[in-house]
Amino acid sequence: MRLGGKVAVVTGGAQGIGRAIALGLGREGAKVVVADLQADKARQVVRELSDSGIEGHAVEANVASEPAVKRLANETFERFGRIDILVNDAGVYLKSPVVDMSEELWDRTISVNLGGNFLCSRAFIPSMRKQGSGRIISIASGIAHYGAKEFAAYAAAKAAIIGFVKALAREVGADGITVNAICPGAANTAMPRTHRTEEELMARLRANPLGHVLEPEDFAGPILFLASDAASYITGQAINVNCGSYMT
Amino acid sequence: MNQVALITGGGGGIGGAVARRMAAAGITVIVADFDHGAAEKVRGEIAGAGGKADALSVDVTQAREVKALVTDVKQRFGRIDVLANIAGGSFYTKRIEELTWAEWQEVIDVNLKGTFLMCREVAPHMQRQKSGHIINTASNYGVTGSALRTPYSAAKAGIVAFGKTLAQELAPDGIRVNTVAPGPTDTPRVMDKESSEARRQRWSHIPMGRTGKPEDLAEVFFFLTTPESAWITGQTLHVNGGLI
Repeated sequence: MRLGGKVAVVTGGAQGIGRAIALGLGREGAKVVVADLQADKARQVVRELSDSGIEGHAVEANVASEPAVKRLANETFERFGRIDILVNDAGVYLKSPVVDMSEELWDRTISVNLGGNFLCSRAFIPSMRKQGSGRIISIASGIAHYGAKEFAAYAAAKAAIIGFVKALAREVGADGITVNAICPGAANTAMPRTHRTEEELMARLRANPLGHVLEPEDFAGPILFLASDAASYITGQAINVNCGSYMT
Repeated sequence: MNQVALITGGGGGIGGAVARRMAAAGITVIVADFDHGAAEKVRGEIAGAGGKADALSVDVTQAREVKALVTDVKQRFGRIDVLANIAGGSFYTKRIEELTWAEWQEVIDVNLKGTFLMCREVAPHMQRQKSGHIINTASNYGVTGSALRTPYSAAKAGIVAFGKTLAQELAPDGIRVNTVAPGPTDTPRVMDKESSEARRQRWSHIPMGRTGKPEDLAEVFFFLTTPESAWITGQTLHVNGGLI
């Protein structure tokens, strides 16, 4: 177990990729705080963790809210006393052509996807800094690189996360904290289902060089690697996990 | 099933660390190097630690030698699961007008052509196995360039594009191709040329506050052979403490 004794916070940890990451971190020995707007689902993930003998804690949190993120940090420290790994996964995926896009949709997309990275990183870095180590891992997206029709706000937020990660990596490297992103390819999760038929979706998901349909669990491996000591000299990077569908 | 890894430049700083890391995971390692003594030394270290290894000589710029090496490995070990192309070097720091055609060719051949020749020879075996991992070695200089190292920077950038292309060609056979791009790394070859104080000053702007160790690279090469990286192909992993 590579992460024994570590404490991890996973935002957006109630479902999809975030849930798979939370369960993966737990399997490697970390205690896991599952933060999500959907508190019931977050508690369900914590039950799954405890069924496997892993300590977890669910927090209802809107990562775009300063007081909510403060509460998330407080509860993490009260319950587990430290933070080693922050996974910024919380995000919204809202569709609209730019010419019809409401300011509300734009603001919500940017504040949850990008602002959540800022608020959560800011809340946990002082503690990581004190202990001289930490891992911040943000879930960006392949869409940051290749865009997606009618998802301009989402594409902008995800590309901005990569810029944020690179800048933050330079700020906190001297404190032994690494900051990286992974860019998942299109995966078999609830998110794209809101906008595509099942048939369209599966054909699209299979259309990559390895011919594999990415499942949420497929992203846990690279995250666990980045969270481990083995990746202590990797920082400021955005790693594509996409079956070769896009290469940067 | 016992996995077999073929590592070129396996006698060098990074190559030796990669060979030791893979052997520690139970992989049988073939340490291939131009310098047979260096390869033999790494083989001895691995054997001493209870691992399985062999040392073989190869000049990766010579198609006949590459063919003989791969044929030999295939015959004796039956399979090749991992090919790590680490042989390379920059050799010269010269302005372009001072660089001879022979020098240019030497650097391009050791880095880029050697990678091509090794991949061309090993890929058919992996295609028959329907599995395999190829990991090539680029450099931060392949992205940023580096004054007085035109052929090295060009070759390393070439390796990145070559790897992306080969990843697309070999994906249907379940073979992954990725590239590791080290930043400044503390290998004997570079440490011999520069005092550690001068080196520390030159790289003081690295965000993580230190230059890389061969072991940092070895972990990433190893990761790219594990199921955890199963859905990563055609990518370049920069291991440079945040330098770029």
